[in-house]
Amino acid sequence: MSFAIETKNLNCRLAKSFSITDLSMHVPERAVYGFLGPNGSGKTTTIRLLLGLLRPTSGNIAVLGMQVPDQSAAVLARIGYVPERLHLYPSLTVGEAMRYHSAFYPTWDEPWANEMTRQLQLDVTRPISVLSKGETGKLMMLLALAQRPDLLVLDEPTDGLDPVVRRDILGLLAQYVTDRQATVLISSHLVHELERICDWVGLMDHGRLVAELPMMEFKTGLKRLRVSGAPDSLSGSPFTLLVRERGNGVVEEWLVRGWTPSMQQYLESAGASLREVIDLDLEDGFVEMLRASRRAE
Amino acid sequence: MFEHVDPRSPTPLYAQIAARLRVAVASGELKPGDALPSVRQLAGKLRINPATVVQAYRELEVEGLVSTKQGAGSFVLDVSADKRQKDRQTEARRLVREMLSTAASLGIPTADLRAAIERELKGDSK
Repeated sequence: MSFAIETKNLNCRLAKSFSITDLSMHVPERAVYGFLGPNGSGKTTTIRLLLGLLRPTSGNIAVLGMQVPDQSAAVLARIGYVPERLHLYPSLTVGEAMRYHSAFYPTWDEPWANEMTRQLQLDVTRPISVLSKGETGKLMMLLALAQRPDLLVLDEPTDGLDPVVRRDILGLLAQYVTDRQATVLISSHLVHELERICDWVGLMDHGRLVAELPMMEFKTGLKRLRVSGAPDSLSGSPFTLLVRERGNGVVEEWLVRGWTPSMQQYLESAGASLREVIDLDLEDGFVEMLRASRRAE
Repeated sequence: MFEHVDPRSPTPLYAQIAARLRVAVASGELKPGDALPSVRQLAGKLRINPATVVQAYRELEVEGLVSTKQGAGSFVLDVSADKRQKDRQTEARRLVREMLSTAASLGIPTADLRAAIERELKGDSK
């Protein structure tokens, strides 16, 4: 598999209390990679490292097959970036911002940019300073898409926007990915949105990448089991036991990965009985994985 | 048609889309020759990964329900009444399996379930 983004043992110390530690991430080409993590876990810092806006203390970064930060300029020409905060001059109008932006990107697709202003109902004559949050979000996405990038790096592109605008923006993204087969790295707290569109997930916590796997695997193998009568230690279990919690009664709650229904036999042969298997969606899985990784620290 | 597609369900999205289309063909909602929405359209509308749509269509293609022509899109094939009937039965079995597994996870005995079904079918709401 070739990767649109690959980092090796990346370290970056920004403050006494905050650093990116030993980060090795792999975003496959054409993946839509959901970058998850609580506030302050290092997602935005990692993104800034990937774009060459920050220099790592040590480690290696390759984006679209080129080295960052050495070849940052060439890399940035092929990346559509939606930053966490507005990066446009507020005194420009929407149309002026588009012209300004297009000057930096030879790949800028003007007819399509104009079409998107209609589709997103953006008034090109309005100054950015008077745009609503939703209009600003649409404009930032438009600018990133109209340059026809091979890689989109979207830092919370829809957080804080209303559902209608979120739909517009993500619908446009899905269409772009269909047309162009671009790679997308998207961070968000709106986990359910990522659950729809992403096929890979990376989870950050305390400056570390604590999990990275295909969405399908993340969702299908991760279960909460309610088990009773299990021995204190399990040997040769076919699944990975991430968390084992004893409740008040005889029933324990387990968090497992790699579960399939046929594994019930294994539990029974170990003398345990399975009371319930609870499916976890991405958000549950996200919370549980964080708990598991923090416990392991 | 895809209002019930639920990304949070443990059933993968592609399988949900394929299942919905299978029902649409079996029930005659989609007729032979009808075009399926384009991958771009459906991905954009549902805000999902285009690969998910492609996977759903490919599954239906393998089953002989649709045919995909490069550049033209996917179309519903002429499916025999016999096959449509079979597909309806398969879908019915799938629904029952889903119910059985939910009931099992809640510890509801089969006898209670059977009684409840009988009662529902008789239209008794008590």
